[in-house]
Amino acid sequence: MKYLKKIVIASVIFIAVGAIAYFAYLFPFYEPETSDFSTSIEKLLSADYLTALIPLFIIIGLTAAGIVLVIVLRKALAKADKKQSRFADARTGRHRGNVPKQKPVWFMILRWTIMIVFAFIAIWGGLIFGMGISALSVPVLSCPWNTEEMTSSSCYYLSHLNELFELPWQSILIFFASTIGFILLLGRAICGFLCPVGLMQDIMDKNRQKTKTEGIKLNEKMYGAVTPARWALVLVFIGLCFAGGNFCNFCPAVAVSPVLAGMSTSLYISGFLMVLILMAGFFKRRAFCMVCPLGTIMGFFHKISLFRIKKDTQSCTECGACYEACPMGIKMIYTEREKVNVTSANCIMCGECIRCCPEDKALSMTCAGIKLYTSSRKKIMSGYEPDKTGRYAK
Amino acid sequence: MTESIKHENLKQRQDKRFINKETQTAAKYLRRMKELSGAPEGMEPFYDTLERIYVDMEYIEKKPGQKTIGTYCVMTPPELIYASGAVPVKLCSGNYTAFSVGENIAPRDACPLVKAVAGFKQTGLMPIYEDCSIMVIPITCDCKKKIAGMLSDSCDIMTMHIPASRNDDDIDEYIRQLYDLMERLENVTGNRITYESLSNGFRKVGYAQYELSEFIRLKKQLPYLIRGSHAMAILNSSSYMPADVWGRALHRVNAALKKRIAEKKTVTSKKLPRILLTGSPIVFPNIKIPLLIEEMGGIVAGDETCMGERGLWDPAVITNDSFDGMIRALANRALRPCPCPTFADNSQRIYRLKQLIKENQIQGVIYHVLRGCLVYDHEYKRIEEELGKLGIPVIRLESDYNEEDIEQLRIRIEAFIELIKLKQAPEKAVAVRRSF
Repeated sequence: MKYLKKIVIASVIFIAVGAIAYFAYLFPFYEPETSDFSTSIEKLLSADYLTALIPLFIIIGLTAAGIVLVIVLRKALAKADKKQSRFADARTGRHRGNVPKQKPVWFMILRWTIMIVFAFIAIWGGLIFGMGISALSVPVLSCPWNTEEMTSSSCYYLSHLNELFELPWQSILIFFASTIGFILLLGRAICGFLCPVGLMQDIMDKNRQKTKTEGIKLNEKMYGAVTPARWALVLVFIGLCFAGGNFCNFCPAVAVSPVLAGMSTSLYISGFLMVLILMAGFFKRRAFCMVCPLGTIMGFFHKISLFRIKKDTQSCTECGACYEACPMGIKMIYTEREKVNVTSANCIMCGECIRCCPEDKALSMTCAGIKLYTSSRKKIMSGYEPDKTGRYAK
Repeated sequence: MTESIKHENLKQRQDKRFINKETQTAAKYLRRMKELSGAPEGMEPFYDTLERIYVDMEYIEKKPGQKTIGTYCVMTPPELIYASGAVPVKLCSGNYTAFSVGENIAPRDACPLVKAVAGFKQTGLMPIYEDCSIMVIPITCDCKKKIAGMLSDSCDIMTMHIPASRNDDDIDEYIRQLYDLMERLENVTGNRITYESLSNGFRKVGYAQYELSEFIRLKKQLPYLIRGSHAMAILNSSSYMPADVWGRALHRVNAALKKRIAEKKTVTSKKLPRILLTGSPIVFPNIKIPLLIEEMGGIVAGDETCMGERGLWDPAVITNDSFDGMIRALANRALRPCPCPTFADNSQRIYRLKQLIKENQIQGVIYHVLRGCLVYDHEYKRIEEELGKLGIPVIRLESDYNEEDIEQLRIRIEAFIELIKLKQAPEKAVAVRRSF
């Protein structure tokens, strides 16, 4: 009975999303004069590249317009509300001053570098370095329609299971070996470190932090409500290929990755989903990752993959800073008082909880038992460090 | 006519007696604290502050025209008050003289802290109370609720509802209350709270917490680096000093402690039993318990009281750079890490105690209960059980601001310390270390 409602919601979402996915490719919203899937380094450097990028510009323009619209509407609503109007300007206006920030941590710098490098590899890698390792499948959402990917992404065959088994057995073997190998080795650290869609959302979040815009804070109930949508998407992702459609028809990555690689393609519904994802990612960090089907599948393996979030339950003061910081809304990380391993199926290993943890050694990220990153009081207070004269930093 | 003059005279005499008694007790405890050996360099600003407030009976240090906002409990975020351009002052009182006045106003079973507050407000003689433009009173217990009503007769107050649990909905509700509080603060001070002023408020309090983290880190390294009574004086005076001034003063103490570590100096060469003090707040001048512990040959190596370490320990972690993000951080800090027994499920306090015991190598716990402080008394049983499992002896000391039970307390504390000494291995003859 408890799950009945969730199952019903999941099936409704499944049918709706499935229908969209099934017919998505029938409605191109923008078509280039010639659909040209070939690309080369020369093309990237020529003016043709700009015309090929038009769908991307449309997406970026719509995203920006959408975000501005939401902010303006929110401000108008706040102004109209008697209670909130007083702080409407303080909350939504442009601000002078900066919040105190802790000094940059190497972990975050490393994470961003890896994400950006991998995005380069996934989009232009094949063009620059050749296709030597293209047989390897990495489970990320980076579009394999972009034939110039240096490594291929597992998402293609996972959403085309019917095609997978028509391949020669060597290919099947390599596909499974590399996909499962990566999942075992890295787990959902792939989401936090490699995934280009994750990078795009992180960039949107950075923009929000820079502009000091108020985000949308989800609470426990809302995070719970997302679960049916996640399961519906997993079903669509794996199952739709047997019904003749497939997830790629409306996958948001399909609208961006090939275009960036210089292929002239049309803009389908997927492009508008990308707009939605970028907007959602702006107001709520990593919004898509909450429902990402590939991530959910990888989450099944969180108990055996090497990356872990560990907690020293003795040091924790249950201040909830980790929960506030967590883009995936994992509450267990601060309420847990018994287990050392607090890795959850939803954890994308972004390290944000550790960065925001004010207790020494309370949280740490380990890989095969080796500590990679540990929380520290000193680091979190580094933004408040006084200058040489002993006065607090203004 | 003569009747009213007579009355006036009586009032004047009463007031004079009150002031005399109040300043005498405060001066006495200050003297006892100063007489205690091993104070680090740089303690003067803290002594001066306590003296200024309780002996000289003056206002707190502030810029001319700056408003003072009275607060109680750790749940009122000082960041907001600094952001509105005012100075916060914590009004939880430990004063015996005011307590005895308050006994006639508040019911017999009310806690001494509340009686003392009522007493101060009744006499109208304490400048830090009279100076407050508004008092912010988080309702953490029944006594606080009723004192809020009592204070509202003579002073502008704002109550804040403290939820019984710390779920997401409770945090959201508290955020709404913080916005209400900001509105009140803006009305009182006439300043707007902006993004810039709020982040500067964060910087001020953050700086104080930065120095406090450093202080506690140093204290942990070597259990005998500073006496608990001195630490208590430092932490108590944070209630009456602007956060940045306090932080700067603490910076000097930290430097002195670092020097001690480098020179391998400690407050004593003997192996003193290390005591953890927890329970009801210990507020100057009611510091008889830490003083007794240290005069009887123990050392207060850790404290888990809301006027002590706990009150300032948890920083507000900004996870969102927006204005609302900062308010969220404040609400989150005020409720989630707070081991105040006002919350229904407060098991995190036990974990906190265990952590303190481990970090400070605690050998015994003294559980201080102010008579009438039911919420703290309730938790004693559970804590005694849990610490019993660790083999840490605990005693419960019930007391109020009265000095009459001091001999009885002395005997109990002495016996407790002797018990710990018996348990620990006999001291080996070691080379005499330099001490003060």
